Amino acid sequence: MNEILGIAIAAVICWVNFVLIDTWMGLPEGPGVKGADVIGRSVQKRGGDLAGGFFQGNIVCSPDASAGTLLAAIGCYAIGIPEGGLIAAVLVYFGNRLCADPGYAGTTGALSITVIIFLTSFIGFKTEYFIVGMVIAILTIQGIYHPGASRLLGKIAHKMGRHTKLT
Amino acid sequence: MIIHANVFIYLIALAAALILGLVLRLPLLPNKPIRHSWTISAVFPTAVLAVGFYAMVYELGYQGYIVALITGIITALFSKFILEKLVPVPQKDGEEESSHE
Repeated sequence: MNEILGIAIAAVICWVNFVLIDTWMGLPEGPGVKGADVIGRSVQKRGGDLAGGFFQGNIVCSPDASAGTLLAAIGCYAIGIPEGGLIAAVLVYFGNRLCADPGYAGTTGALSITVIIFLTSFIGFKTEYFIVGMVIAILTIQGIYHPGASRLLGKIAHKMGRHTKLT
Repeated sequence: MIIHANVFIYLIALAAALILGLVLRLPLLPNKPIRHSWTISAVFPTAVLAVGFYAMVYELGYQGYIVALITGIITALFSKFILEKLVPVPQKDGEEESSHE
């Protein structure tokens, strides 16, 4: 498979994987820790969506599906499929618990991307595509334009019934 | 593709942890709503930890059905008796402030 095309498709798969899992697990509903609250309200002040801001704050403050996806991809690359992904899931779980988070989003993200990496390896996707793809996916959420990304995340949260009730 | 593990062995580790977890009276699933629950149950995190720990042991060079079984058993005991002490549920703000007073 063409490397650039593979990375682009892997980035889309990683984006969908972590955004859907994190939203489903309720990251936009409220801040898990004070830092996420500060980030969410700062994004809102700059014209963003509060639920999207909480989402962005929560993935900064604890290892959720975004970190799970990235670490599992790195694990699969460094150790192998599926051992690397399973080891990453355990490490992400302990990281979650240390960051005042029950750990569902991070572990689910790590396990789901391990399954995806395993399945897509049959059609020529290399594990390293998912590492680069996940870095690009996180960049679109955290690194380009916070208010715009938060509005998109807010819309997804609204559609999935996970929009925040806080004001 | 770098797949070098027997899926069946992972199932043994998972089943051993699940069954012993239930025998040790861990609930099958966390309380609802699950995404906000801190309950340690047989499915989450015990079963997930069991396959993860077996993957670690596997990579360290210890492989086989017996190793998977032992890993599952140790994980269930770990989840029941040690996990809560190792990574405790965080205190709420009010409790934290009152404990500092």
